[in-house]
Amino acid sequence: MSVPLTLLGLLEREPSHGYDLKRDYDAFFGRGKPLPFGQVYSTLSRLARDGKVVISDVAPGSGPDRKRYIITDVGATEVEQWLTQPVEPEPHLQTVLFAKVVLALMLDRPAGEYLDTQRSAHLRRMRELTEVKRAGSLVDALLADHGLYHLEADLRWIEMTGARLDALRKEVRP
Amino acid sequence: MIRFGLRLAVAGGREALTRLIVIAAAVAIGSGLLLTTLAGVNAVNAQLTRYASMYPQASAGNADPLWWSTRFDYFHGKQIIRIDVAATGPDAPTPIGIPRTPGAGEYYASPALRDLLAAHPADQLGDRYPGRDLGTVGPAALTSPDTLLVIAGGAPDQVAKLPAAKQVASVGDTPALPETTVNLILGVIAGGLLFPVLIFIGTATRLSAARREQRFAAMRLAGATPRQISTVAAVEATAAAVAGTAVGFGLFYAFRDPLADIPFTGMPFFPSDMSLGLLDVLLVALGVPAGAAVAAQVSLHRVRISPLGVTRRVTPRAPRPYRLIPALLGVAVLVFAIGFKPETSDGQAAVFLPGLLLIMAGLVLAGPWLTMVGARVLARYANRPATLIAARRLADNPKAGFRAISGIMLALFVTSVAVGVITTIIANRGPAPVGSTEAGQVSLYLPEDAPAAPDTLFTGLRSISGVRSATAVRENPDRMNASEPGLIACTEIPRAYGRCAEGAAVAEVATGLIPFRESASSARVWPAASVPLGDLQQLPVMSIVVDTDGSAAAIERSRTVLEAAFPTFWVGPNVPGDFESDFADTLRGWEQLANVVIIASLALGGCSLAVSVIGGLTERRRPFSLLRLSGAPVRVLRRVVALESAVPMLAVAAVAIGMGLLAAHLFLRAQMHYTLVAPEPRFYVIVVVGLATCLGVIASTMPLLERITGPETARSE
Amino acid sequence: MGPSGSGKSTLLHCLAGILVPDSGEILFDGARVDAMAETERSSLRRDRFGFVFQFGQLVPELTAVENVALPLLLSGVRRTRALSKAGAWFERLGLDGLEQRRSGELSGGQAQRVALARGLVAEPQVLFADEPTGALDSLTGEQVMDLLVSAAREQGTTVILVTHEPRIAAYADREVMVRDGRVNAPDRIAS
Repeated sequence: MSVPLTLLGLLEREPSHGYDLKRDYDAFFGRGKPLPFGQVYSTLSRLARDGKVVISDVAPGSGPDRKRYIITDVGATEVEQWLTQPVEPEPHLQTVLFAKVVLALMLDRPAGEYLDTQRSAHLRRMRELTEVKRAGSLVDALLADHGLYHLEADLRWIEMTGARLDALRKEVRP
Repeated sequence: MIRFGLRLAVAGGREALTRLIVIAAAVAIGSGLLLTTLAGVNAVNAQLTRYASMYPQASAGNADPLWWSTRFDYFHGKQIIRIDVAATGPDAPTPIGIPRTPGAGEYYASPALRDLLAAHPADQLGDRYPGRDLGTVGPAALTSPDTLLVIAGGAPDQVAKLPAAKQVASVGDTPALPETTVNLILGVIAGGLLFPVLIFIGTATRLSAARREQRFAAMRLAGATPRQISTVAAVEATAAAVAGTAVGFGLFYAFRDPLADIPFTGMPFFPSDMSLGLLDVLLVALGVPAGAAVAAQVSLHRVRISPLGVTRRVTPRAPRPYRLIPALLGVAVLVFAIGFKPETSDGQAAVFLPGLLLIMAGLVLAGPWLTMVGARVLARYANRPATLIAARRLADNPKAGFRAISGIMLALFVTSVAVGVITTIIANRGPAPVGSTEAGQVSLYLPEDAPAAPDTLFTGLRSISGVRSATAVRENPDRMNASEPGLIACTEIPRAYGRCAEGAAVAEVATGLIPFRESASSARVWPAASVPLGDLQQLPVMSIVVDTDGSAAAIERSRTVLEAAFPTFWVGPNVPGDFESDFADTLRGWEQLANVVIIASLALGGCSLAVSVIGGLTERRRPFSLLRLSGAPVRVLRRVVALESAVPMLAVAAVAIGMGLLAAHLFLRAQMHYTLVAPEPRFYVIVVVGLATCLGVIASTMPLLERITGPETARSE
Repeated sequence: MGPSGSGKSTLLHCLAGILVPDSGEILFDGARVDAMAETERSSLRRDRFGFVFQFGQLVPELTAVENVALPLLLSGVRRTRALSKAGAWFERLGLDGLEQRRSGELSGGQAQRVALARGLVAEPQVLFADEPTGALDSLTGEQVMDLLVSAAREQGTTVILVTHEPRIAAYADREVMVRDGRVNAPDRIAS
């Protein structure tokens, strides 16, 4: 799960305070594991250092919450690339996939296409594993099966999500 | 559970209601036919009984006896039954159908005869019954509304001298034939008629069984026990059958009068004779619904309905060859009867009828085995997929394949026997062709004690317009050596009947101037007789032959004159073929009945077949529709259906007709020493029409075949 | 591949000349399948295509070997030749000894292998398979797929397969996604 890219993605909706970012992250992606404030600010400062975000008007007073962060073109490009490119088809991807889908919806990007791309990548991998299985030994076949079943589970999830994108969009973009 | 079943049947949605109505309609038609058949059997029985009561047995009792003599007379080729009666005292019984016994010079006539009397001049008909017309003979004495019957009164001493005169102490219905014989005959007829109807009702109650079974499976899934399912099935079938039977009764009474008018037996029935006994009513009213319930149970037995669906029970056990035994036994009985012919007609009936019943039962029993053997042979050598599929299905379940056609088999067997016997008898004893010399000849065979024939009689006869000659044939005293029983002077032989041998003055001739079973011929040469011409006048007159131009008026006038001259005639003066044509008319009536049975049973058989075709298609809709998707042309499937239904039907029809004609031949050989004459083309036409109807009904399932095996079926599942 | 109701079977039926599409063209061997008459399409299906369906395509009255021989018989091959050709498939698909069984006496996997043999026995150019493993458990399904792929490769038959199962789709060299009646995944050729 990529926290920096997720935060960048959240910032692409609108310039936000660190506190807003943490709240939204926890609401959609935290699921019982809230992001510590420290991590939010360290990540944001790293992003600022790399030129992916800039700090806009600093409000009077003290504390980190006075700063509003704005995504730069560099940051936006990185989010774009991340979203369009399929994740390496490996098991246990759903958190990343999920983050990508939600962000894509928030950003009004074609989430369905991302899912399609991801499905093709998964299928390609499954085809490779199926070839391994057909050609190789039993041990190879069993290992390939393990991968195949997990990929299949991901694919099912992709299908389900794909079928419910509209409902999800309403949920994440009130 | 019963109420639940009823609710399901009546209020189970449009599909359930449609099914209910279709089954009820089929049962209505079936039970209507069943009632018609039963009533028809009753009507035939009533006809036979009344016919028999015209020939009462001599009997003695406390009452004064009634003199009774029954004779035949003819008019326009139709038979008139003439009964002469004379009461010997005030206590003498009164004949059925009239209010009192007519006295001398009085008579009663049946309505049909009264019409004839009114429509024709007295010198052609009315003068045969001199005296007072007392009124109408009531239906109680008539076999049919068309019966020509006259009951004439006479003085006791006159009537006592009439042929076959007997004294009867009681009148009334006496059974025509021994009851067992009647029952056996009716058994054969009813078997041929009833079986197709019963099969049809049975199949009707199993309409759309497949859908129903699926629904039962769903009910099992919802927790119904097999017992409850069978109750529901029975209730549904019974409800439809009760409704159908009720409508069937309505149909029967609505169509009874027009049906009675059809001369199935050569003469129409009285509608009131087409009646139902209490037993018949109970049999149909209770039997059909009960039968439907049983049929529903039986059909449920053939499938196993589990909560998860319907499975056909595994391939039923193959029929065994022992099923052939009764049919072979039946043929053996008939063959045996040729060698050993019982003396009495009852004894003959006792051999033949059980033989026929054995063959009938044997055919039904042997059918599945024959179907299986035929199908197996076909399957072994089949090259076409349709043949293979159809043959395999028939071989797998020959009983199911045969059930629908067993009715056809029986009906065709019975009718072929009847038609074979009838055509042969008609061919051997048919009436004379119109326009021949015979058709214009009236001859009277004089009774032994007849008064001498005066010359005035002959001049009177010759003066009738249209009469060409009137000739007396005298008795040949040389009975031992003579080739013919009659004698005639050579000069008196009318030219149309031949001439004398060279140089003879007196010739030996046949009674009617026509040798037995031959035709009149002007080229015939009669042999010379040993009696000298001078002695001829002393010999008694044996018969009088009147040759006319064949016109009805001339014939009937001559007949009336002859009857008046010889009131004690045995059989009315007749035209050759009068007797035969009357007999043949009756037989033709039976033939007509046979034709009706053929077409009806084939049409019904077609319906039964259509039902089983639909069942077979529903069972296999998926493999068939997938075959079509794979490019099998729909004609392959059509061929499967045709081979599964039409081919066994045609084969069975051929076997039944063959067996029927064989049985007829054996019967004719043994009883009459006739050889079977091939039925007229008309019979084949009727059979072909019947078969075409049957095939038409089967063909009507073809659109259904295309629909239920269309791509939509495969796609929607 | 695609979810149920997405229209993949309809697409297959269009490709196989069972249905005629409302719009668009279907080309096979340079000929417009959609423009052919029904009889022409039927003979195309019978002579150059093979079919495997999810279940229930075996004619219950016929033995397994006769079911396999059915396409040959339908094209007019003599019975003895058709049966011996069909019999050869039984060993190949591991069905020895089941030749005389009826469809009711076969397990699902066996029946499906018989169906496969029937689809391939006439050496079709294209085999259309509509959820051929849909009624089987995964292991049996994979066995059937293995046999299908090897037999088709050996014979040079193109297989067009409809499935909603990714693992079955993974046997294909190329997949087409169908959703809501639209083909909406880009073609990817793996090898």
